[in-house]
Amino acid sequence: MTFEGKIELKLQVKLILYNTISKAIIILGIGALLPLLIQKVVYNHIDKRLTARLEKTLLMVQKGGLNEITLDQDCSFDNYNIFKEEFVSISPLPRLPEDFGKIRIENSERSIENESVRHRVLSKAFIYDNQLYEIAIGEGLSAVDQLNLTIKKFTLLLLLAVVLISIFLDLSFARLLLRPFNKIVNEKLRDVQHPASFDPKPIITNTYEFTHLDKSINEMMRQIRETFEMERAFIMNVSHELLTPVSILKNRIENLISDPSLPHEVAVKMVESQKTLSRLTKVVKALLYISKIENEQFLKNESVLIETVMQEVLEELDELIHSKGITVVSEWKDQFIFTPCNKSLLYTLLYNIITNAIKYNETDGKIFITGQKIEKSFVLKVRDTGPGIADDQIPFIFDRFKRFRPADDKSYGLGLPIVKTIAAFHGINIKAENENAKGITFILQFPIIPS
Amino acid sequence: MNVLIVEDERQLSHEVEIFLSKQGYHCDVAFTGKSASEKIYVNSYDFILLDIGLPDYSGFQLLKEAKESGKDAAFIVLTARGSIDDRITGLDLGADDYLAKPFSLLELQARMQAILRRKHGLKNNTIQIHDFLMDIQNRTVYYQKNAINLTKKEFDILHYMALHKNRVITRVQLTEHIWGDVLEEDYESNYIDVHMKNLRKKLSTSGNADFIETVRGIGYRLNMN
Repeated sequence: MTFEGKIELKLQVKLILYNTISKAIIILGIGALLPLLIQKVVYNHIDKRLTARLEKTLLMVQKGGLNEITLDQDCSFDNYNIFKEEFVSISPLPRLPEDFGKIRIENSERSIENESVRHRVLSKAFIYDNQLYEIAIGEGLSAVDQLNLTIKKFTLLLLLAVVLISIFLDLSFARLLLRPFNKIVNEKLRDVQHPASFDPKPIITNTYEFTHLDKSINEMMRQIRETFEMERAFIMNVSHELLTPVSILKNRIENLISDPSLPHEVAVKMVESQKTLSRLTKVVKALLYISKIENEQFLKNESVLIETVMQEVLEELDELIHSKGITVVSEWKDQFIFTPCNKSLLYTLLYNIITNAIKYNETDGKIFITGQKIEKSFVLKVRDTGPGIADDQIPFIFDRFKRFRPADDKSYGLGLPIVKTIAAFHGINIKAENENAKGITFILQFPIIPS
Repeated sequence: MNVLIVEDERQLSHEVEIFLSKQGYHCDVAFTGKSASEKIYVNSYDFILLDIGLPDYSGFQLLKEAKESGKDAAFIVLTARGSIDDRITGLDLGADDYLAKPFSLLELQARMQAILRRKHGLKNNTIQIHDFLMDIQNRTVYYQKNAINLTKKEFDILHYMALHKNRVITRVQLTEHIWGDVLEEDYESNYIDVHMKNLRKKLSTSGNADFIETVRGIGYRLNMN
């Protein structure tokens, strides 16, 4: 799952990834060091053995003379020779070496009977009969090399098996360990659309952190739910308290106006009062409507084709559009079914936007409607050909508390704050833009939720 | 026609009573659920206007009881609580209609007439206005069997005025009826004048449309004898 270009991983995956990497590092280290260690031990043994033989041969030379050894050497030092595994050679040295008296150890290729074999060779210079000689005693390394290779292969396989088994174990363990956590994330956070649908049943776990987390979420949700319930009750009470007196006044005015004994001038005043009261009613209703949406008192479980809802709105406003000589130009490049949504709220949203485009349009103006899919959203644009809104006022047109008066003193009312609230309820991104100082464009970005 | 008004807000029930009495209904008023319950049990009503938010009784409970005891009065639920569930609950329990406060008295009467027509299965769903005949079912107006092409809003205006004939209807009342619960503040009620002008023009091309009278500074009246 990516979010704004950042890679997000599940905790479980992360744990396993880290475990695997650290194990691989350790195992590769061991894999590299073990053959070296074994080689060192083997060389040590060979060197010890060869040193003993060298000393023994030298002793024989000192005792029995050189001739006897040189003649005798083939049979005196074992029958390994036929496998070119061991040899002893004594040869005269032209000059005294710097490390005289010390044993030199080296690995070297010795060519024996036209076959090159790697040997561990110990050599030492000595003086016999006033003559400088060097004695070299060697042992073939092919067996050791073979062993080393086998060990390398074996360790590699073994380590690979260990890594695989440990990944599997880690995976199972992490899954087991994180099961309560995943449950909390899924059941208590991800699947909860509304505080009312929250299930406070505790998650069973013996991990302290998870219990704590679960408790905290439950507590927070309880508080949110309480606040929601309180707000709901408040809205209902305010609604009742405000609308009941309005209701009395409204009906009283209606009765008065129809009273034939009422002088005409008074009746005209009453009609003015009726208008004022109607305005008050609309404001109260609009504010309550906004509160109800914010309090999630509307369901969001329908699917609608946006174009269809727009058609219904245009049909309803058809006469109004015609009476102003306005032409509607629609272009739907893509079809888009918005789900989940509340159809009546969406209707109100589009209704208010179109009403706005009619109200602030010029006579014989145009309304351009376009709908198309752009990347991961469906973009609906509604543009009018009215005078537009000053750039510095645009940020406030959706704000219900910062209402402004445009130049012609027509109030924008609460139509746009309602639009904003409905958009927020559905996760629709909305903004207004001036286009070339000719009309205003409302841009709605509907999220496309993959089914 | 007997009407029981169940409404704890006395001033409001009083206004409704004045209005309905003038229209020829016989009105009874109950301010509490208890007295309403008794009255429903003893008397027989054609209409019961029921406020949901009663102090002593749930209006829904009252509705349920009355329905269960087989009373065939038409129920119109009234509420100012503004809860969306109220409407659904009310209609589910068998209410015939639902009106959110504040409602217009004209709207109340229109709804009552609609219920009556529905209940009695009135076949003759037409209104004769002088030389014009309104077919409510097909939403068409005829002049000597020739259909006049009215728009939806024009038809609604004429229909509403015919329902409240000989009575001045203000622009606000017409606007509220035509545009319904539109959540747009300060809606230009001048549009009603535009619609009215067009309606008159269309009617007068066929016959005499002088029965629609403009009452200066107040509104319009459809005159009929």
